[in-house]
Amino acid sequence: MQVTWTIGGPQGMGVDTSATLFGNIVCSAGFRIYGEREYHSNIKGRHSFFKIVFSEGNVRSMVRATDILATFEPQTIFEHFTEVRKFVIYDKAAESTDIEKANFMEPELRKEAATFLTARGYGTTAGEAVRYMTDRGVKAVPVSYRQLLTEISRNIKLPYTVIDRSRNTVAVSASCALLGISKDSVLNMIRSTFRNESFAQLNLHAAEAGYSILKKEFDLPGVSVSSHRVLVDGNTLSALGKMYGGLRFQSYYPITPASDESTYIEANQILGEGPDADGIIVIQTEDEISAINMAIGSALTGARSATATSGPGFSLMSEGLSWAGMNEVPLVVTNYVRGGPSTGLPTRSGQEDLQFALHAGHGEFPRIVLASCDVEEVFGDAAWAMNLAEKYQTPVVHLIEKALANAFVTIDEERLSIPDYRIERGRISRETGILHRFANEGDGISPRVFLGQGSIFYTGDEHNDRGHMREYSSNRIAMYEKRMKKLDTADREIPAERRVQSYGSADAGNIILSWGSTRGVLLDALDILNKEKTECRLVQIKMFSPFPAEQVSRLLEGGKMIIAVENNYSAQGAAYVRERTGISTSNEILKFNGMPMFLEEVVDALRLVVEKNERRVILNG
Amino acid sequence: MSLPVSGVHTLHGRAIAFASGIKIANPELTVIVNVGDGDGLGIGVGHFVSAGRRNLDITVLVHNNGVYGLTKGQASPTLKLGERTKSLPKPNINSGINPIALALTSGYTFVARAYSFDTKGEAEIIRAAVKHRGSSFVDILQPCPTYNDINTKEWFDKRVYKADMDGEVKDEPDQQEKIIAAIRKSYEWDEKIPVGVFYRNELVPPFQERIRGNVPSYPGRHPANSVIEKDGIPTTSVSKLIAAKRVI
Repeated sequence: MQVTWTIGGPQGMGVDTSATLFGNIVCSAGFRIYGEREYHSNIKGRHSFFKIVFSEGNVRSMVRATDILATFEPQTIFEHFTEVRKFVIYDKAAESTDIEKANFMEPELRKEAATFLTARGYGTTAGEAVRYMTDRGVKAVPVSYRQLLTEISRNIKLPYTVIDRSRNTVAVSASCALLGISKDSVLNMIRSTFRNESFAQLNLHAAEAGYSILKKEFDLPGVSVSSHRVLVDGNTLSALGKMYGGLRFQSYYPITPASDESTYIEANQILGEGPDADGIIVIQTEDEISAINMAIGSALTGARSATATSGPGFSLMSEGLSWAGMNEVPLVVTNYVRGGPSTGLPTRSGQEDLQFALHAGHGEFPRIVLASCDVEEVFGDAAWAMNLAEKYQTPVVHLIEKALANAFVTIDEERLSIPDYRIERGRISRETGILHRFANEGDGISPRVFLGQGSIFYTGDEHNDRGHMREYSSNRIAMYEKRMKKLDTADREIPAERRVQSYGSADAGNIILSWGSTRGVLLDALDILNKEKTECRLVQIKMFSPFPAEQVSRLLEGGKMIIAVENNYSAQGAAYVRERTGISTSNEILKFNGMPMFLEEVVDALRLVVEKNERRVILNG
Repeated sequence: MSLPVSGVHTLHGRAIAFASGIKIANPELTVIVNVGDGDGLGIGVGHFVSAGRRNLDITVLVHNNGVYGLTKGQASPTLKLGERTKSLPKPNINSGINPIALALTSGYTFVARAYSFDTKGEAEIIRAAVKHRGSSFVDILQPCPTYNDINTKEWFDKRVYKADMDGEVKDEPDQQEKIIAAIRKSYEWDEKIPVGVFYRNELVPPFQERIRGNVPSYPGRHPANSVIEKDGIPTTSVSKLIAAKRVI
C-alpha cells in the first residue's frame, strides 16, 4: 500500500524538522519513503512543504495527490486543498480565516484559489476550503492547537511562543495515530531527535496530545526489516561519493541547491581518527570564478579536486572550464540544476542546463557530462566522476537536478558500498627535471605530472608538449587533435551500457526517450500503461559526453513513436540525440514549471500521446 | 640545468585564485603571483581583496604601469582621474585606486612598493615579501614606454625616493596605528613617491594555521600528499557517515 503525506507551513516554522521526524518514524516502522522538499527563496514566512510518499516496497516517483495533508495554519490549506484525497488535519481556529489574509501567498495564486472556490459555490475561508475537501470524501480532522498547547504550557516552563512551535509535532503524531503506527515509535523518535531536554519534554507532550486526537484509519503497523536502511538526499550522496572517490579539495561559493554538499563535506572533513588523519580542505571562495580556478590550481598539484555549484554559478565558471579543458586538468564540477534563466526559479528543479553543460566555455575541448537518474545513483556517479576526470585528464560535469538534490529516499545501506569501485588515477609520470606535460602518446592522454615535481609550464594559449606557447600551424593541429582524441578514447573505454539504459519489452512499439531524474516516474508510468496495452519502453540516457551514439541509435530503432520526456521547454536531450544520431523524436512531454514530474500527469500525458498522437504536451502539476 | 620552477599562465584576472588553490593544496610550494595592474586590481580585484582576508602565504607582485599595454594602452585602475596617456581618446574619467591602501585594508600583512629602475632595491623588497609568512603585496612602479607618456622613467626618477618607514608591527595594540600611518604615507604621490616596506605584521595567523585549526594534520598532511588509494582501493571510508543516516 502506498500513502502520500504532506506537511506544510511558513518557512522557518519547523516544517523540515517535522517532516524529517515523520520520515524517520515511517522508515523505522519498515516503510520506504520518497520525500520531496519544496521551499521558496526566502528566509522566513513563505510557504514551504514536504511531501512524503511511502510504501512497503520501492518508491521511485512523486505523485500530485496527497492522502493526508497535515497543516497547522491556514495558508497550507489554500495551497493544497485541491490535491487531498483522504484526510486533512487543520487548525480549528483558522476556519474563519479568509484567503485574503494568506499574506505570503502570491496574490495571483490567492485569486486563482478564491475563484476556484467561488466558482464551485464555496466561500473563501479556510473552513470553506475544508468543506470543499469533505464534500469530496476527505475526512476533516480539526485540532484546537492553541487550547491543546496552552494545557501543555501549564506543565512545562517555557514561554508560549516556544510552545506554539510544536504545533507541527502535534500534526505529525496525529498522522501516525491515523496510520496505525505505534505511539512508542513516535515517542522514541522524538527522544532521539531532540537533544535539548526541555524541547524533548515539550515535543513528547505535544506528541502525546496529537496521538490522542485520532484513531487509526489505516492499518500500517509496520513491516519487519532484516537489513539496515538509510535515509539520505542527493546533496549528501554526492558529497559521500566524492569523498569515497578520493576528494581532497573542494571550493565553492554559496548557492541553492548546491551549498549543502560543500557544508556537509566541511562538517565531516577529517578522514579517520587521531591527529595524523588526512583532511579534505573545503574553501568558501569570494565567487564562483574563484571556486573553479582554485579547484584547478589544486588539481595541478595532484590533489583530487572539485567544486559544486548551480546554474548562475556555472555560468561564471565557463571561462575556467575552458582553461581546464585546454590544460587537460582533471576537475569535477558538480552542477545542481535548477530553473532558469537568470535566477529563474532558484529553489525549484529543472533540466534546462543540459545543452549548456555540453557547450559551456569558449572553444572546443573534450569534456565528460553525466546526469544521475535517481538519488541512489548520485553516490556511485559522484565517485565515478572523480575517476573519469583523472583518467581522461579533462573536466567532468556531473548534473544533479534539484529534484534529486533535495529528495530524501530510503536506501538499503549495503547498496552504498560499491565494493568493486577502484580508484583509477590514470597515467601518471614520476619523472623529475624538465617535464613534457603534454607529450603525445597516441591516445590523447599524456603522462600527468604535478606542480613541484619538476619544471612544468601551463598556459591557456595554444602550447607545445612542454607547455610553452606556440602558434605555428602543425603544432596547433597536433595539439588540438591530441586533446580531442581523449574523447574518442573515453568513448571506446566507457561501456555504452553504463551510459544509456533501456527498460521494458524490446517489442513495445513506442519509445520514451528521457534522461536524468525522470527515470523513476517513467518506470512507474510504464508499469501502469503496459497493463493497459499502451505499450512503451524507455531509453534513458545517463552520459551525454562521450555520447553513446551507436547504442542510442540501436535502442531507438523500430520505434513507432519516439516520445521525448524532459523537464525543459525545448527537449534538449532529444535535440542532442538528433544531432548525434539523426534520429528525431515524434512527440514531446515537457514540464518547466519547476516541479518534478508527478506520476498521474505523466500517465495521462503518455495516454494522450500514444492514443491521440498529441505532438506536444506541457505539464503544469 | 634548470631552475626548479614551474609556471602557470592563468586566466586574465584569476591568477590569485589559481595560486591560492595551488598553495592550499600543496603548502610545501613557494607561490609567487605576477600580475599587472589591470589584471590584479581591475578584473581580478575581488580575488586581490580576498587573498588579503585569508592572509594566505603567497606573494602578489603587481606590475603597475597605469595602462593596459597588450590591448593598446587603455586606462588601468591605477591611472589617475583626468590623466590622458597617449592612446586615450579622452582623459580618464575614473579615479585611480590606491593599491597600497587597498592592500592594507584588505588584510595583507606585508605591503611594499618598489621601483623597477631601482633593480637592487626591488630585488630586496621582493626577497623580503617572499620570505614573509602571510599574504605579501608589492606594488612595482614601472613605466610603460609604449603607451604611458605621463608616468615615464624621467617622471618617476624625479619623484621616487626610499622612505624610511616604521611599519613593523611588534605587538597587537600597535597594529591599527601602523596601518593608519601606512595608509597616510600611501597618499604621498604627486611631488614625492615613497618606495619601501609600508607595513609588516607577522602576528596575524596565516591561512595555513587557520586551516590547521580545523584539520590538525595540516599542513604536514595536505591534499597533494594525501594517499587516496591502496591498490586501487579507496583509503577513505564513508561507511560510518552512511551508518549515521541509518533509520532502521
